[in-house]
Amino acid sequence: MGYEREAGGRGMSYLELLNLAAPEAIIALAALAVLAADMFALRELELHFRLAISAMISCVGCVAAIGWMLALPEHGNVMGGIFIVDPLGQLVKIGLLVLTLFTILISLESNFTVHAGEYFALVLLATAGMMFLVSTADVLMIFISLELTSLSLYMLTAFDKRDVQSAEAALKYFLFGSMSAAFTLFGLSLLYGLSGSTSLEQIAASIRGPRLDPLLVLALVMTVIGLGFKVAAAPFHLWAPDVYQGAPAPSAAFIASGSKVAGFFVLARVMATGFKGAEGSGAWHGYLPGWVPLLAVLAGLSMVVGNFAALVQTSVRRLLAYSAIAHAGYMLIGVLAYGGSGLASLLYYSLTYGLTTLGAFGVVAVVQQQTGGDRLSDFAGLSRRSPGLAICMMIFILSLAGIPPLAGFVGKFYMFSEVLRPGSPGMGLLWLVVLAIALSAVSLYYYLQVLKQIFVAPSPGAGTWVSVAPVTQQVVLGALALAVLLLGCFPGWLVQRLAGAMAPG
Amino acid sequence: MTPLNGYLLISALLFAIGLAGAVTRRNAIVVLIGIELMLNAANLNFIAFWRFGPQPEAQTGVIFVLFSIGIAAAEAAVGLALIISIYRHYKTTDLDRIDSMKG
Repeated sequence: MGYEREAGGRGMSYLELLNLAAPEAIIALAALAVLAADMFALRELELHFRLAISAMISCVGCVAAIGWMLALPEHGNVMGGIFIVDPLGQLVKIGLLVLTLFTILISLESNFTVHAGEYFALVLLATAGMMFLVSTADVLMIFISLELTSLSLYMLTAFDKRDVQSAEAALKYFLFGSMSAAFTLFGLSLLYGLSGSTSLEQIAASIRGPRLDPLLVLALVMTVIGLGFKVAAAPFHLWAPDVYQGAPAPSAAFIASGSKVAGFFVLARVMATGFKGAEGSGAWHGYLPGWVPLLAVLAGLSMVVGNFAALVQTSVRRLLAYSAIAHAGYMLIGVLAYGGSGLASLLYYSLTYGLTTLGAFGVVAVVQQQTGGDRLSDFAGLSRRSPGLAICMMIFILSLAGIPPLAGFVGKFYMFSEVLRPGSPGMGLLWLVVLAIALSAVSLYYYLQVLKQIFVAPSPGAGTWVSVAPVTQQVVLGALALAVLLLGCFPGWLVQRLAGAMAPG
Repeated sequence: MTPLNGYLLISALLFAIGLAGAVTRRNAIVVLIGIELMLNAANLNFIAFWRFGPQPEAQTGVIFVLFSIGIAAAEAAVGLALIISIYRHYKTTDLDRIDSMKG
């Protein structure tokens, strides 16, 4: 039962572990390299060069880790689930690294900090945390990597030291986050007490029974509070709008993309593996206690709160935050479609959503740098000042709204059809899917409100906007828009890879 | 009452006290103390379950607690740094007065 007995000698060598964890090791080394380079070699240089060189080292680290995983696809399971390397995990890790890569690239032109090395090192450490998070089925590792990710993200939120809002957002994020971490830890301690083990599979094996133990219900609710906070599902979403508004734009983009993907993957794994046998049912007339009805309620609540609160926002960042809460609701429906290729649909949705929201925040960052604000009126007439940027933003916003042929539409369609697939455990959740589709129609209003400002509203007087976006930013945002378009037109490319990675053997 | 029940009651009480402190107090540092109390309640749970569980020879519970103590220390460090950065701007750690963002 205890992993130390298996670890204590037979079968497990550190060299083998290092071989399996090489991508994470590369990222951690890159973080240290960035810190060291910034400390010893770059101090005297101009900020622009320091940012560029630090970003380059970080990018090399990410590309090396991706290359390692593509060139040497390893499989392994260390110490009964503490560290798992499987094709699906590797695919998600590659997706996370791509999101990190784009985050680093949109940070290139930023001017919110002079601590270039520390900034990129924290981005890489958060990425390493996310990578560990998706490659474990053990609650101890889940807690540690969740905290590694969260602590790095708190610091990234506070990185603009001149800005009051950045500090305030970070404090709120930290207080909500550490409180939910305490809930998670308490829930995990109860799970350990019920099963005597920290492995998700053994927890599932020991909780199976005709009736739910009251202690198990408590553990379930507390675990869901912690993970629900991580993915910003209502009613644990209170930090999200402030963080998305106050954090430096690249940090906010990273929180909205990478940590969401990792958070949903681990939520799906904990629920489907760890609470296997405690599913219950959330069907309209066939309610049974378990985690399915709990998540179904959270999903419904997130969609309602997110979509209706977004209607009244005047700040584009807050609008994106509430839209992120609504999307967390849609993705929770994907968690409910566990089994079969339900997980593939959830991952397709979360990865394409990550790319889209990263792009949207990139555009907001450029506009904010040039007009000084992120209100809707700051976007007025963007199409005439910077047509390229406006078209990119249009693609991102329409994909978030779920308009074909963009990736957002395919993701929603795939996920909802997975939930309603005959024989799926989510069959009784038709009411939730109907709610989701109805609220998608509501969401069109506020998404089109942004596009109306960009394409229809007259631009305010000349002179408020002098330069166009820097070339690197335009290239990066164009690449993101192209990716969203291509993944929408040819979804089979990613879907087949995800489904192939999930197939046993 | 078995010893395990006693420990679980104490840890539940600690958790509740910590949560009450974190939710009702307005000083950021006191809120942080409340959160630490909640984390330690969970640690006490782990130790109690390990000591009175079916397999005290497997050290899982103790290892978990060692890791979580380390993480709690890191969390306190990050939290105090953030409180200092707030104090530089607002000259206060009163959470009711830190409200520049709403909506």
